[in-house]
Amino acid sequence: MLWEKIKGGMRVAALDAAASRAGLTVGQNLSDARALVPDLLVFEHDPEFTAHVFSEFADWHSNASPIVAVHDAMTPYGDLVLDITGVAHLFGGEAQMLASLTGRLRSLGYTTNGAIADTVGAAWAFAHFDPGRIVPESELEATLADLPVDALRLGETQVGGLNQMGLKTVGQLYGRDRKAMQARFGASLVVRLDQALGLIEERVIPRIPIAEYHAERRFAEPIGYLDDVLMTVRDLAIQLGVRLAAEALGAQSFHLFLYRVDHKVMTLSVNAGRGTRDPGHIAQLFVNRSERLEGEYDAGFGIDMIRLAAGSLSPTADVQVGAFEIDDGAEDLARLYDRMTSRLGPLAVVRSKPVDTHIPERAVKLEPVVARTADDPNAPAAPPVRPLRLLPNPEPIEVIAEVPHGPPLRMVWRRVSYRVLKASGPERIEAEWWRTGRNLSFLRPAPDPGRPDEPPLDKTKKKVIAPRLDEHVSQLPTFDAEATVCDYYVVEDDGGRRFWVFRLGLYGAQASPRWYLHGFFA
Amino acid sequence: MVRPKPDLDALRAQIAALERRPVLADGAVMAAQRQAGGEDELLGLLKAPPGLLHEVFADEHRQSGTALGFTLGLARSLIADGRQALIYLQLGAEAQEIGLPYGLGFSGFGLTPDTLVIGRIATIPELLWALEESLACRAVAGVIVDLASHPKALDFTVSRRISLRAAAAGTSAFLIRYGTGREASAARLRWHVKPGVSAGQPFDAGAPGSPRFSIEIEKLRLGQVRQTEQRHLILDWTENGFVSVDPRKHPLAPLRRPAAPPRPQPAALGDRLSQAG
Repeated sequence: MLWEKIKGGMRVAALDAAASRAGLTVGQNLSDARALVPDLLVFEHDPEFTAHVFSEFADWHSNASPIVAVHDAMTPYGDLVLDITGVAHLFGGEAQMLASLTGRLRSLGYTTNGAIADTVGAAWAFAHFDPGRIVPESELEATLADLPVDALRLGETQVGGLNQMGLKTVGQLYGRDRKAMQARFGASLVVRLDQALGLIEERVIPRIPIAEYHAERRFAEPIGYLDDVLMTVRDLAIQLGVRLAAEALGAQSFHLFLYRVDHKVMTLSVNAGRGTRDPGHIAQLFVNRSERLEGEYDAGFGIDMIRLAAGSLSPTADVQVGAFEIDDGAEDLARLYDRMTSRLGPLAVVRSKPVDTHIPERAVKLEPVVARTADDPNAPAAPPVRPLRLLPNPEPIEVIAEVPHGPPLRMVWRRVSYRVLKASGPERIEAEWWRTGRNLSFLRPAPDPGRPDEPPLDKTKKKVIAPRLDEHVSQLPTFDAEATVCDYYVVEDDGGRRFWVFRLGLYGAQASPRWYLHGFFA
Repeated sequence: MVRPKPDLDALRAQIAALERRPVLADGAVMAAQRQAGGEDELLGLLKAPPGLLHEVFADEHRQSGTALGFTLGLARSLIADGRQALIYLQLGAEAQEIGLPYGLGFSGFGLTPDTLVIGRIATIPELLWALEESLACRAVAGVIVDLASHPKALDFTVSRRISLRAAAAGTSAFLIRYGTGREASAARLRWHVKPGVSAGQPFDAGAPGSPRFSIEIEKLRLGQVRQTEQRHLILDWTENGFVSVDPRKHPLAPLRRPAAPPRPQPAALGDRLSQAG
């Protein structure tokens, strides 16, 4: 029996069959319940944990139908909706399907009620109040009419109000004036009624996105070894490849779903840089990915069904290499990058992409090779002097240099001192004022040195109109151009080593400037 | 006496098997490119024939730019029509120690920023796996591996395996290592790179000029090696590639910077202009 704190008092949240037989009800005070049944087992209820476990449990049901959702309109857990359009024949008919699903859950010890109807609202109503029914479309209105009003997923006050009015069954609501009902009981009553009857569409948002192209295999006996799973993946990839080839499609992402016996689903995904349907390549990608799993693979009591789904489809025709065409190896490279990415992770295999900015550390973005984006046409052409290697974080150094903008003469880096022989620079790179998130201060005009000092303006005579700034903007620190400018120098020491150092800030600004080392030249 | 046939067939099969081995294959490649003369031969080696394992040694971590520059100069000549990619592998944790390759700096070596594919890898076994995978791809021109540490996993057997795979695929491998210690390895060529003070720009003698490398070839296992071979070179990297520099004509003596003449303080460039009105 579970209890939870509602409004400061501890109340009963859920009961099992024995407790309800003993006369306890949901919502009762915990101390009353304990008084009624002395040797009661009580556990605190953790709603988030329960909801989370229930959603994982829901995922398992995607082997029965691709569209599975947790119906959380009335309770955060406990209601599962499956859209079985076009799937029922696989289980031998709707009645068989309902019997097998509920029977399986009951054999695992769950208390289950199910129903099949044309709309979500009607199915919920029958599952809760008249379980085990399969209602065809023609009889929906008639059978729904006999159910109590609670079956329409209404709030407590609404149900209370309806019962007070004498409206106890859904059938009594059919012919009534909608505007009056809406005014008296709220718009949700009319909406729920329409949803149950199918006049308003109610969508089921699947937890796992639907894959149109998939291949699956069920096992008579649950399997557990990863090698067996990978062998099955190879076979499924061949089947999937044939299906994709029939429509000349290639896929860029592949998802593997492993349905365990104890109602959990494991998923593995791989990405390919180019659309592919080559089964050997797909299988190899999953082999590489599985090597990265380490301890996460846990088959539990066994795997019942494996499904391989393809996503991100794009037309991929079979390319015919002509007699005089030189194969430039782009296809081989794409496959190499796919394999490396699947084994090492997507952020491990990157290429440098120029970005439209002058700040050196941001001028190049490292993006994954398999997720290539178009080059930015605004990115500036390669600037004249840039180092071959860049340190991810510039390291502070101590420098002796000529003031105000002479290059360094001596520097100390990583506790070693260097004597600089040659230097060139400075290259001034200002900060991007539109990105600093600081307040741009309005400049006051400098006093004219030619005129004699005038007495300051009398404030009462001439009103100084200050610009109105939003509150949060005026509280930001002010952008100081002199403190954020970087002067870059290329220095060469007496050993021929060449470094790229910069000074952050100008001499004469408020904060004293600091020197950093940013990169190495060849 | 006539030899029985089965023995002769067995001998033929053995020789055929030997001839297919990659060891003999790349030895044949090198023998075909021998030239006379010490310096020409060394310059010929700089246009590295494909399918070899090179080791490039730099003395310290702070010379990492020099090592990478020299390696890119070597690998640059390997890029051909059917082999477009250069792959660079590094342990992710060492990026702060020796730096990451910076795309905008490749223009000095004639490469666009996206030519080099950078692999930032977590462990040494994964790095070796990535190296072998890249060598096996026939569209890769060269693989550069940059190791700041001295892992125990990289021993003679591993280097021999890498060398065989490189020869079988025709892809070159470059291992950049640091430090003065040398381990046994199966690399065909071992280079020792040191930076040299550059010659200066034509308009400004006080500015650093083209990169200058002082090269020593420590190991050369390509066919016959003569005793009196020149092994030291000083090279500049220019638009024409590596250009040999005569140390006598271009002394590497440090330049003395003249004292700045006294002049008035120049205006700070951050001076505010007066706002009109």
